[in-house]
Amino acid sequence: MTDVCMYMQVHQPYRLRRYRVFDIGTGAPYWDDATNHGVLRRVADRCYVPTNAILAEQIRRSDGAFRVAMSCSGVLLEQLETGAPDVIDSFRDLVATGGVELLGETYYHSVTSLSNLDEFTTQVRAHTAMVERLFGVTPRVFRNTELLYHDGLAGQIAGMGFRGVLVEGADHILHGRTPNTVYAAVGDSGLRLLPRNYRLSDDVAFRFSQRSWNEWPLTADRYASWLAGVGAGSAHIFIDYETFGEHQWAETGIFDFIRHLPNECLYRGIRFVHPSQLAARDPTDTLGVPWATSWADTERDASAWLGNQLQQAAFNRLNRLYEPICATGDGVFLDSWRRLSTSDHLYYMSTKRLADAEVHSYFNPYANPYDAFVAYMNVLQDLEQRVDAVGAAAAARGRVVELVSAERAPTQPVTAAPMAAAAMAATEQPLVWPRKAKTQHATSGGAKGGDAKGRSADARSADTRSADGRGAEGRSARRRPAKRPSEA
Amino acid sequence: MFGWEFPPAQAGGLATATLGLVKGLLRSDVAVTLVVPFPMDAPTVPGLRLLSTAGEFRRARRGGASLWSAADDQLRVWRVPAPLHAYGGAAGGAAPDQVSVHYQPGSKTGVLADRSVTDVIPAANRGADVYGVNLMADVERFADVAALIAEEEPHDVIDTHDWITFGAGISAAAASGRPLVAHIHATEMDRSGEWINGAIAVREREGMHAAARVISTSSVLARRVTQVYDVLPDRIDIVPLGIDHREEPWSASRATNPFGTAPVVLFLGRVTHQKGPERFLEVARRVADFVPRAHFVVAGTGDLLPHIIERTVELGLAEQVHFTGALRGAEVKHAFGMADVCVMPSVSEPFGLVALESLRAGTPCIIPRDAGVAEVLRNAFKVESWDVEEMTDKIVAIIRYPELLAELRDRATAELLEERFGLELPARRTRAVYERVVRESAAPARGHAAHYN
Repeated sequence: MTDVCMYMQVHQPYRLRRYRVFDIGTGAPYWDDATNHGVLRRVADRCYVPTNAILAEQIRRSDGAFRVAMSCSGVLLEQLETGAPDVIDSFRDLVATGGVELLGETYYHSVTSLSNLDEFTTQVRAHTAMVERLFGVTPRVFRNTELLYHDGLAGQIAGMGFRGVLVEGADHILHGRTPNTVYAAVGDSGLRLLPRNYRLSDDVAFRFSQRSWNEWPLTADRYASWLAGVGAGSAHIFIDYETFGEHQWAETGIFDFIRHLPNECLYRGIRFVHPSQLAARDPTDTLGVPWATSWADTERDASAWLGNQLQQAAFNRLNRLYEPICATGDGVFLDSWRRLSTSDHLYYMSTKRLADAEVHSYFNPYANPYDAFVAYMNVLQDLEQRVDAVGAAAAARGRVVELVSAERAPTQPVTAAPMAAAAMAATEQPLVWPRKAKTQHATSGGAKGGDAKGRSADARSADTRSADGRGAEGRSARRRPAKRPSEA
Repeated sequence: MFGWEFPPAQAGGLATATLGLVKGLLRSDVAVTLVVPFPMDAPTVPGLRLLSTAGEFRRARRGGASLWSAADDQLRVWRVPAPLHAYGGAAGGAAPDQVSVHYQPGSKTGVLADRSVTDVIPAANRGADVYGVNLMADVERFADVAALIAEEEPHDVIDTHDWITFGAGISAAAASGRPLVAHIHATEMDRSGEWINGAIAVREREGMHAAARVISTSSVLARRVTQVYDVLPDRIDIVPLGIDHREEPWSASRATNPFGTAPVVLFLGRVTHQKGPERFLEVARRVADFVPRAHFVVAGTGDLLPHIIERTVELGLAEQVHFTGALRGAEVKHAFGMADVCVMPSVSEPFGLVALESLRAGTPCIIPRDAGVAEVLRNAFKVESWDVEEMTDKIVAIIRYPELLAELRDRATAELLEERFGLELPARRTRAVYERVVRESAAPARGHAAHYN
């Protein structure tokens, strides 16, 4: 008897306005509220609301035998709350059926896990808080942005209370093993890994309406038979929620497909499970993920966001701004920084496929990646200038840069190295913001004594976390991979 | 084939396009006979000999010219000494008062031995002192000679390029009965905006309607031709231009920047309304506000040059804007090599070969969104060409962020090596059009191809 775990990701970013060099320093807003709201409304009407209704109906009719998992990014929920509260109610109805498990992720759908683990943790906690507030449930299983994961994150994720994490079932980590089972993470975190079955997932997410596909048109019963064919394992089907109604338009029959799929599966004796059910099982093996792996592009690594020098330059610049912004204590700056950390901004700068209409650039406001880069850098320029203008930031940065340059290892921020190597660095020092010893913070905290009280809660808690012993342990665990304990 | 100045002496333009097409066709095993009007004051091209009134026609030698590697009998160049200047300037110089075409004795097809064209030219033209000024008369004369050539030269198809040779094509087609193809590179609307020359527009219309098929270099040009001249879309084939991949890549040698490390923004093209030089100055003014050490180069000459120079001084850019005048040959490569970015703020750009040449030299190019080349090129900033602030934004970004410059350069250089930017693909497609018109002219029962004899 096959188990099927279906998970859908729900996310929309805050997109930038056409921010030009002339806008720098003028106080012009960064965010394209009109477009963002328009997109949100359209996606809600075409996808979220109808699909929520179908899923809720199927869950109730099966008395909970049909069940799925979802996660909504914090920025999406924020936008829905302000711009489309009826959709929040629609999601609440769905969750109220009891058949939907909500997962945790970063609030801002960011790739900070690759550069700044403290900020990463802050964003995850913020997301958990929002989910608890809106839906009254606490996530127990985690999924990082675009299923980005590597071994170095295991401790951090487990430390936040998650039992399992969704990962991409990429060939380069499975090495021929099956994705249809539960694995254990490397190390002693006790974290369980659930690898995505990308073939079966992409059959629905991408190939569903491709007439050139030899299985077109895909019917629910045939797909259910494929799921059943997995046999004694668990098929992990992780897809984008916009598959239903946007990437696959209603005319393709996708809604009928998802409406009939539960019954077809249950009829074949398939059992639907939640990720936390799977995470409670014994793993069949340990799954090592030595460098950042994701579900993006054929490479299934971090190259979708950091693969070219535009992206690396933008990412590094963003990260350099983090400390100064935290030092200002300004919540608006920090929120802007965090919205800029959303992975979509980097994705828009990808030069891998310039002319194709790709799924991930579906709502891409830019005609080409260069335009995306220019707008993003202009915004960062403006943010930097505003932060500079807050005098204390300048002084503090001077101290931090001094300390950092004195202690930093020879390797530098992400360069145009081959992607594996650059992503390998994700587990080592260079990409981790060098919040080194407690002494550094004590020093910098002391230098701006009075400011410590004025700082935003987030920045303060981040510092506190770094100041106590547990945080330090966590840091050293992530900075020194488990296989080199002698250096700890 | 009836063309313009050949070989080309500068970047972009009709002559370069013709050269590329001829090379490509020769490589695709299409025998080409090229007839060009040739201003007597044009510089000598190595390997070619000029036709003079007293002298006899010399077939173009392959010689040291590396322009083409075809066999001797594949490409033949006839030089007709009519002072037909490409863009309307005065030709000047001593010009013959008659046009004569002589065959070299012993040539392949030679019945023409002693016959001179004076027999054909109407008496009214003979001796009239209108060279270089009355372009229309020169065009007529060229057309008359064309008829004569067409009677003697063996050929299957007649190809003409733009209005100035359409007349020649029509009369040649009338003389030989062969099908006519009209290549359109730019219309009078593109060149002159609102103040078009009616006589030229008439010839464009006549030429395209007389042709069995029209070849356009871009979709935007094809649409304009349909709108303005009522040429049906199914009679138009779109064949974008390419560049010679076999030439050594220009980017192999980045020229030294004469301004040290200062960024250089380049405008390369005729200084005329069509190419938007005023907009370039507006962009320069704004870029200079952000990047005071930037330099701007205007490479080209034209009717607006005095006005542009004055405007430069008005805008306070006298020290940052540099004028090179018309550039030739290697100077063009040098100009691209020293620039960080090339801008084409053209009012109208039916294709925009300069963009491809800029990228070949490794210099990113900012092109108008409605340029012909924008339909095929991916790695370039495409802007509304009137949007001065947008162009400023992109230029400042290219100057500020070396990774942007590097990425654009790498990607564009790689893209340029794709097949669609070579000479072979356009030549193959052109050849396919030739074959089609030949086929259709042999089977007139279809009814839609007009015959103009």
